[in-house]
Amino acid sequence: MKPPWKFLTLADQLLIACLALLGVLGLAWSLSAPRGQRVMVSVSDRLVYLGSLDKEDMVELSGPVGKTVLTVDHQGARITAAPCPLKVCMTMGPAVQQGDILACVPNRVLVEIEGGASQPADYDLLSH
Amino acid sequence: MFWNRPLALFLLAFVAILAWWQSRPSDQVLHRTQFLMGTIVEVKAFASSSAGLDAAMDAAFAEMARLDQLLSRYQRGSDVERINNAEASIDVAPETEAVLRLGLDVSKKSQGAFDLSLGRLKKLWGFDQEHPHVPSSEAVHEALKGIGPEALDLVGSQLRKRHPDLSVDFGGIAKGYIVDQAIDVLKRHGVESASVNAGGDMYLLGYHQDRPWRIGIQHPRHPNQALDILTVHDRAVVTSGDYEQFFVEDGTRYHHLLDPQTGYPAGSSQSVTVVADSVALADALATALFVLGPDKGRGMLASYPDAVALWVDAAGQLLASEGFNAYRLDP
Repeated sequence: MKPPWKFLTLADQLLIACLALLGVLGLAWSLSAPRGQRVMVSVSDRLVYLGSLDKEDMVELSGPVGKTVLTVDHQGARITAAPCPLKVCMTMGPAVQQGDILACVPNRVLVEIEGGASQPADYDLLSH
Repeated sequence: MFWNRPLALFLLAFVAILAWWQSRPSDQVLHRTQFLMGTIVEVKAFASSSAGLDAAMDAAFAEMARLDQLLSRYQRGSDVERINNAEASIDVAPETEAVLRLGLDVSKKSQGAFDLSLGRLKKLWGFDQEHPHVPSSEAVHEALKGIGPEALDLVGSQLRKRHPDLSVDFGGIAKGYIVDQAIDVLKRHGVESASVNAGGDMYLLGYHQDRPWRIGIQHPRHPNQALDILTVHDRAVVTSGDYEQFFVEDGTRYHHLLDPQTGYPAGSSQSVTVVADSVALADALATALFVLGPDKGRGMLASYPDAVALWVDAAGQLLASEGFNAYRLDP
């Protein structure tokens, strides 16, 4: 009895080889897509910090009313100290996903998460 | 023959479809954030081509900055500053006239639950200052003198304060009006799908790519939880809650949504979410309905048939107005 590949013509073999090549190229393309996520911080609309979300860090950010402290750890990027009276930014929780933002409005500090693929969220925007 | 083989044809067709799917043009997305109006303004716009999207975004932010200069009480030379300093009637800009006209309408229909003339009272509490505090009852009483739906007369573009020392504050409406104008600018630039979000006051233009926008409503007592999820397009969504600005004094929590009847924080709601045709209307209604609470608020909402609301009352119970469920992701 002949083995199965003996039933393939040259054209069949070419087709299979092309499909396999396409598969390998597709895999390589998907692996080369950007995976890292960045923490981008601006104070008074000026970029002052750009770091990886995967790297633990603590940054003091000087703004018009004092120092805001940004902590980057396994939870994400969080504001852990703020000079403003209401400290709303400290209650915002961690920013993790692409597009997440934290803001200390009185101190004009804006923290944004950029790069990498965002997880599908339950909603696009939060009304608060 | 090779081309007669169904398997080969199927595989080729499959590869061709995959290649088309990967190469089809996807929507361009432009996302920009900026400090404006004392908050963070986020604009996200979708288009099949990036041509013109940048210019549309520039124009929208420029318009918001221009209107902020005109309508903010913190900006020197703004119409609000001019009104507050005026002793006789004054001529206001068309944009200020539009804000006043809508604000006075909501004020009258809510029987003063929404009030444009609370400038002195808000300054007294100092929620936007470094040290907010509970004012004396005498000071509150004094700040309430002359306020109310009849405190301002608007005839054409002429505004007259009934008491010269009245102070206006557009805090509960101007942000919404400015977002509406930004949306108009984006539309004029051909943008059909975008969101403009000014600290939670938002308008959702068109669709979020291939589906309506999904808008979470913040739980008033659990900051990281969404209370509900709405699906909307071409609508404004605004939430007013007692958790946004507050301070604690002598063990009591005081929030920034003041009841013009008493001069103290309103106590019948934890939050109110309004869905309406314009952000200015949703903004003003959210404040009025928060102060009124669900029982009185439902009656007042009947004056605005295109607007719907969801209350979280003082006890934490959810109460929706008629028609609200149509916007819920899971009715």
